[in-house]
Amino acid sequence: MGNKTVNLIGKNSMRIVLTLLPIIGFLILWQLAAMFTSIGNLMPGPIQVIESLFISFAKPLGPHTIQMHALYSLKRVMVGYGSAVVTGIIFGVSLGLSKMFRALFRPLFELIRPIPTVAWIPISILWFGVDEMSKYFIVFYGAFANVALSVYMGIQRVDPVLVGAAKMLGCSERQLTFKVVLPSCIPYIFSGMQVALSAGIMSVVVAEMINSYEGIGWNIHAGQQTANMTQVLTGMVALAIFGLLMAAILRQVERRMCAWNTRNT
Amino acid sequence: MEYQKYIEGRKAVITCKNVCKEFDIRDRKQAGSFRVIDDLSLSIYENEFVVLFGPGECGKTSAINILSGLDRPTAGSVFQGDTQITRPGIERGVVYQSIALFPWLTVMGNVEFGPKARGIDRTQSRKRAQELINLVGLQGFENAFPISLSGGMRQRVGIARAYANDPEVLFMDEPFGALDAQTRYMMEEEILRIYEHEKRTVVFVTNNIEEAVFLADRIILLKSCPTSVKQEYIIDLERPRSYTAPRFLEIRQKITRDMDKAL
Repeated sequence: MGNKTVNLIGKNSMRIVLTLLPIIGFLILWQLAAMFTSIGNLMPGPIQVIESLFISFAKPLGPHTIQMHALYSLKRVMVGYGSAVVTGIIFGVSLGLSKMFRALFRPLFELIRPIPTVAWIPISILWFGVDEMSKYFIVFYGAFANVALSVYMGIQRVDPVLVGAAKMLGCSERQLTFKVVLPSCIPYIFSGMQVALSAGIMSVVVAEMINSYEGIGWNIHAGQQTANMTQVLTGMVALAIFGLLMAAILRQVERRMCAWNTRNT
Repeated sequence: MEYQKYIEGRKAVITCKNVCKEFDIRDRKQAGSFRVIDDLSLSIYENEFVVLFGPGECGKTSAINILSGLDRPTAGSVFQGDTQITRPGIERGVVYQSIALFPWLTVMGNVEFGPKARGIDRTQSRKRAQELINLVGLQGFENAFPISLSGGMRQRVGIARAYANDPEVLFMDEPFGALDAQTRYMMEEEILRIYEHEKRTVVFVTNNIEEAVFLADRIILLKSCPTSVKQEYIIDLERPRSYTAPRFLEIRQKITRDMDKAL
């Protein structure tokens, strides 16, 4: 028993070392390159970027502090992504359950889906103006297809033996949808939501870089315009942290709601 | 002779008359059909433990799907008592080789699934479910999800779930096929204990001769695909049976020989 505990600690600390080693190595290499090579003329090292990130919590970058920029981006992601999740689930379920709906809307969906998010920006500005609405639309568009497709796939992959078992146990067709088909889709819904979240964050950055006066994406754009690489990199690091946090929160939600799907002993 | 004596005074629960089953094959080059069951006729009597025994891939699962009503035969008919079986129904329960528990439901949720779907009074169905969970030896695991259970424990849930609707007949389609040998022996004894406790008609499918002789009141030997009844055996050994008793080995050997001839 005692041996096992020691082993476990050994394994855990080993994992932490393995996680941190490449990150620290990368940062050291970057710092050295910035200090001793010509790369230093073009861009700052990590120490300077992290310093700038901390300073930007108090001292505004452009119109806002970094946390305010992040809040702007967060609001756009929440509205656009949230509506994409709700409508994407409804659309995906309809695609999966109704032959009629599938025949009607699948071709249109497949036709529009390949158009990259960024290509929609001019149209979105034309339709919704330069305000928030156009950014919501871009995030929505970026996230929607991911959710819809994985829900649709989840419905197609429902185990036929489970469906048969439910019928044998006295489940009506209608009960089948709510008691078997939809619950067995939940893992697919979450995996779609994870992919859609990355896509949504990507979209909000694109929208903010092209058409915005605030947000994390704006920082990168503004830094580029003024040849301020520190601001560009500060924005990028902020994005990394932002994305990491959002994904971690969603994973926690999934763990809570899908306890049956992760080994939980 | 022996058979006549065996069925004397017993009520037929399931009657299967001249059932054929063909599956359409859609190939790039040809369209045709593949016959899995060819003129299958058999009767299952009240409260007997019947084993459908046959070589692998002989169409046993197709037969169970038709007997339980999940699938329709291409020709022929199946009756439960006087009613023709045309669709799935709660008068028949099924235990699956793949176990097929609902992974998003707890042990209790799985066992209660049938009664709940039928709208049975909650307290009553809960009480019965608890009784069955105790019967299969899973008290204390009511709130566990299937993923945290071992294979044997999962199949115990599968058995309790099938009993929960109080069906007249239970179909068990190679229920222990996915379990390791040790667990399998234990589950064979368990299923007999449960069968003694909750007398129902059981139709048990297996391709394991030892399992067949250990469990059955009567063994129906099936031909290989397309399948039909090759022969029947009344197994009048006392329970509990021993795998190594001379009579056991004798019966086992005889059926194995007959099966080889059937192939």
